This record gives sequence, structure tokens and C-alpha cells, in this order.
Amino acid sequence: MKGKWKALTFFILPFVLLFAAFYLAPILYAIKQSLYKVERKGTFGKATEVFGGLDQYQRVFTDGPFWESIGRVLLFGIVQVPVMLGLALIFALLLDSGLVKGRRFFRLAFFVPYAVPGVVAAIMWGFLYSPNLSPFTAVTSAVDLLDADLVLWSMANVVTWVYVGYNMLIIYSSLLAIPQEVYEAAKIDGAGAIRTAWSIKIPLVMPAIVLTTVFSIIGTLQLLAEPAVFRTFSSAVTSTYTPNLTVYSTSSIPNFNLAAAFSVVLALATCVLSFAFLKVTQRGGDK
Amino acid sequence: MRPPMRSLSIALASALALTACSSGGDAEETTTGAAACAPSSGPVTLTYTTWIPGIENVVKLWNDKNPNIQVKVQTGPNGNGGTYANFFNQLKAGNAPDLGHIEYDALPSFRVQDGLTNLADCAEVTAAKDQFVDWTWGQVSFGEQNAVYGIPQDTGPMGLFYRKDLFEKNNIPVPTTWEEYAAAAEKVKAAGGYITNFSQSDISQFAGLSWQAGGRWFANDGTKWTVNFSDEATTKVANYWQDLITKKLVSAVPPWTTEWDNAYNTGQAWTWVSAVWGANSIKSGAPDTSGKWAVAPMPQWTAGGTVAGNWGGSSTAVFKGSKHPYEAAKFVLWLNTSEEALTALNKEAQLYPATKTGAKLPALSEGVEFYGGQKIYDVFATASTQVSPDFVWGPTMTDTYATASDGFKAVVSGTGTLADALKTAQTKTVATLKSQSIPVAE
Repeated sequence: MKGKWKALTFFILPFVLLFAAFYLAPILYAIKQSLYKVERKGTFGKATEVFGGLDQYQRVFTDGPFWESIGRVLLFGIVQVPVMLGLALIFALLLDSGLVKGRRFFRLAFFVPYAVPGVVAAIMWGFLYSPNLSPFTAVTSAVDLLDADLVLWSMANVVTWVYVGYNMLIIYSSLLAIPQEVYEAAKIDGAGAIRTAWSIKIPLVMPAIVLTTVFSIIGTLQLLAEPAVFRTFSSAVTSTYTPNLTVYSTSSIPNFNLAAAFSVVLALATCVLSFAFLKVTQRGGDK
Repeated sequence: MRPPMRSLSIALASALALTACSSGGDAEETTTGAAACAPSSGPVTLTYTTWIPGIENVVKLWNDKNPNIQVKVQTGPNGNGGTYANFFNQLKAGNAPDLGHIEYDALPSFRVQDGLTNLADCAEVTAAKDQFVDWTWGQVSFGEQNAVYGIPQDTGPMGLFYRKDLFEKNNIPVPTTWEEYAAAAEKVKAAGGYITNFSQSDISQFAGLSWQAGGRWFANDGTKWTVNFSDEATTKVANYWQDLITKKLVSAVPPWTTEWDNAYNTGQAWTWVSAVWGANSIKSGAPDTSGKWAVAPMPQWTAGGTVAGNWGGSSTAVFKGSKHPYEAAKFVLWLNTSEEALTALNKEAQLYPATKTGAKLPALSEGVEFYGGQKIYDVFATASTQVSPDFVWGPTMTDTYATASDGFKAVVSGTGTLADALKTAQTKTVATLKSQSIPVAE
């Protein structure tokens, strides 16, 4: 019995330590920070941190631009996530169908944008969108892709470009795991390629689609690199355009306590949305 | 069982030590008196973070001659572009460099975060006071006695950069007043260009324009701050530019982007009301226009006036926590006052010295080829003496700039007015001050 515990500790400890040091500790520290506020005397008085209870949270919940930005990323997500995952699913099915020659090439080609660092991708697309610098001036001089009406969707395009291949790979690998017998049975029943895709492949890869959706919801709420880069290019992107940009701007004031409170609220909102989505899809599965 | 337990306890102990460190920083009291600026024994290595291009070459001059005070340079993006955020984080973590590059407008922010060493204890520093242009000393001492929170490095007296060739070709007189500037804007538009580009996201230019007009955004009476972005002078400047924006006489390309360089390089924008260091920005951003630019004094609000604004300018500060303020101050005094260093700084980065004698550097009395051989620094030397000394910066300028630029960006996108944007920025600045418990008048 003793030996078993020893082995268990030995194997689990590295994970537990790293998890605690790089995951739990920062979260706890952020929560602690968010419960403090500073006090000072005089115009250049030295700040002392004192316990402030929910003071910072009161600021968060009355901060108009922050909730506006949450609404903005939700709108972004409602449109962008289905488009992106729809494309990822179609590409995965096409690769899997055998209709496409050079499967290996396309698998890699779709994945390459994901290997481009997010900031670099945003800068590159920013140049492509710029009215005077773009190689596609015929488009950019007619439509301002960086103005208040369109910039959100210009960013959605960047995010889609980066992540379609990544999501496709997850769905595709899940398609590869479907046993051949299932296909044979379908074939014997007279199902064509489209029928097989609709009735067999998609239901069987549903868990992968749910997983990628949850990742995408999390990613959407935490949008930072694209708006931060587009902020320099576009007059429509403010310092509080997305929730994470608000956190960033607040921490560079620097107001670490308020920034921590924003982060905690954002993390909670992300948790709630992800779990709500899981709950809804799992209930659908039970029927 | 034992080894894992031990490592766990080590981990716990170091976590506790970390917490102890972070709270220990707060408890430390400010050391004052002569001891605060005592020389260290033995050789010293100082770390210095800045974004001056080519600074390594300047620091090398010092390092070669001072084996006992070696300076290690770290470079980063410009202040509001990320280095200030790094400084704040480093100060919080207790590992800030010894020396940092801080623009005048950001000094109050660092002081209010208790990030700066007061160099008033260093006799050599206080003795150097008279070497600097008066208003710069006001900026680093906040007008207080026994306070020196940075050593002035450069200044940004403003002038009017204009495309001499295009103005001459189209028979447009060089504007000397803002009224003439607006009239010229109409003619430039008719000739197919924009008189300038309105800087909607770098608010410090607008601050310089307001400074010239007599606007005063902040005041500090020792017990509380006053915030006012809608005084008469600032509103006058805001309405003036609003008019140009509404009439579409100025472009609104986001500043400091390639797109913006392109607007100057292709002759789309004809003038730029900018600081002395702008000479370098045009040169590097618009290389195709070499020889076509000239510099005139800044347009005036009253005909025949002699008032200039200031945009930018920096100090070098010693951060709280530096163990070698004496050596740090010694190095900075060399860097910011010696002819050798000032010449090198001007050569590498076109910095315009903050010292009185700096204006007479041989390098600053020569004609500049990019500007058709004009002795452009003469214009700025005069402007430097015309900058009013009492402009005060607020203690949370990063936030003020961000909120004002959010508003200005909306204006150039067609929503609201500059004056309204400034009022919103004022309200938000007051809220930010309050959230930091910084006393502020309503």
C-alpha cells in the first residue's frame, strides 16, 4: 500500500506543482488583488493597499464600455464561431471524403495560418486592409474595411483565417477514428457520400465539434491580439474595444486591482458561457 | 515519501518568500538625507532602459572611460507603446532597472506610483539645475523645493514643417497665424492635398497645441488635483481643428503607421506642426521628399505673437530600488549635459538638448540637407525660449491619452466633436484618479 502511494505521488506531483505554480497561484493572486484598493494621502502620496471588499467589482459592474465590449465580442462570436466551425467541418469532410487529391498538402496548407503568430497575422491583414497600402486598392478604396461598421468583421476574417485549419484538424482526426465497419454498413444500406456525411460522420464527430466550439467561445471572449494591433490602424478600435483590451488598458494606468477585478469577471463570464453551452449540447445528446 | 515532501515544502517556502518580498517593498520607508546619494564602493553595473535609437553607441563612449561604472542598455518600444507598462510591472515586481527613459508627461504617473528616486540629495544634481532650460527643471521638480525626480534630457519645442516646393508652386504664403493656416488649408485642398494630418490617436500633439494656446489641463495645489480639459484656450484649439475636420481640410490617417508615412512620402500631406524631433520622423518616413521641406515658426493665435508649444521631450529617471543612485546620477549628468554625449545623441537620434548651452552645439548650427540646407535648429532654438514654463501633466496620463484618443477617433469617424471628447476624457480622468484614491477636485 505504501509503495503504491509513493508511486502515485511521484507521478502526480510534477503536474500538481506546475498546475499550482502556473495556474492556481496566478488565479488566486488575481482574486486577492481584486479585493484590494489603494489609499493615499496628498497629491503624490504613497499608495498603501488596503482591503476594499467588493469596491473594484462595483466599478466593474457600473463600467459601461466594459459591458458594451462584452456585447461586442458576443455578437462577434455568434457570427464568427459558426462560420469558422462550419468551414472547418466542410474542409474536414472534403479531406476525409477522398474527393480531394493531395490530401496531405491541403491538410498542411490549411494548418499553416495557425502557425503564424496572431500578432503577425493581424499586422499582415492590417496592411491588406489599409486604404492606400493594400495590394487590393480597388477594393479598399471603395470600401473602408477599417471603419466603425466593418472593422469588427475585418477582424473576424483574420481570426477565421488563423483558426479554421486548427479546428479542421481536430474534427478531421476525429473523423479518422470512425471505424470502417460503420461506413461499410452504410454503403450496404445504400447511403451515398452526402448521406454518409450527414447521418454518420457529423453525428459521430459531434463531440469534437462541441469541443472546438467551447474553445472558440473562450477564444472569442478573450480577443486581444487582433484588436490591439488594429487599434493602431483603425480609428474605430478604442482602448476598451474588447474585454481583454480593457484589462490591458487598465493595467497600464497602472490600476492592477481594477484590472484584476475585470479579469476575474471576464473569467467567470467565460466559464458560465462555456458550461452553459456544454449543458445545452449534452441535454440534446441525452434524448 | 521524503523527497517529494521536501520539494513541496521548498515550493511552499519560496511561495511564502515571494509574498514576503512583494509586501516587503511596500513597508520600506523612503530614505532621505545625504546617505541616500552616497557613492558605492567598488565597481558598479547600472541597467538603463530606453528607446533612443543608437543609444548603444552613446553609452559606449561612457563605458570606455568609466570602467568602474558600467552601463548596460536595454531597449524597448516607446513609452506609451509598451515600455511604461513594463516599468510599472517591474516596479511592482521589484526588479526595475536603475535608470529609465521617461517623458515629462509620464513623470507624474511614475511619481504617484512611488517609482522614482528623489535625486535632490545628490549635490551634483542640484548644482546642475541652472544648466537646464528653466521649464524643463519645473517638469522634473514639479515646482517643489528639494525635489528632482529625473534629469532633463531633451525637449520638443514645436515648429511648422512644410513642403516648401508645393507652397511655392501653388503661390500659397507660409502661414504665420492659425487664421492664415486655415486659409492655406482651403488652397491646399484645392490643389489636391491636405494641409496636414490630424493626429487622432496621439493626443500629445494636441496637448502641445493647447500648451501654446495657453491651455492648462492639470493643476496640483498640494492637497488635490484639478482636471480641466475644457478651459477657454483648449476649447479654442479644439473648435479650430474641429472646423478643419468637418470641412475635410485635414486627413485623419492614424499617426505613426506606415500608411501615415506614405501620406507624407507621396505628398498627400503638406505640413506638420511638430516638435524638433519630428525632423527625424519626416526624414525616415518620407525619404522621397528629401530637399523639399522647410521649417517655419509655429503659427500664432495673435498676429505677431511669439509663443511656442512643446511636444514631448524626456528625462532620465532613477527608479526606486536602485542601489546606486550616486553613480546613476553621475552617468545621467554626463549623458544629458556633456557636449560629447549631447552631440552623439543628436547625431544618433536628433535629440534636442534640454540644456541652455545645448542649443549652441556645433552640430545644431549646421544646415540640414534634408531641409534644403536650412539651419532648422535655429527655428527651434528660438521656439525653445518661447515655451511657457507652467504646463502641468496629470498623474495618470496613459489613461487620459487613451480615453481622449477614443473620443478623437470617434470624431474623425464622424461621431461627436473634439470639445465633447475632451469633456468625456476629463470625466473619465477624474474617475480614474478617484479609483486610485488620488485627491481630485470635482
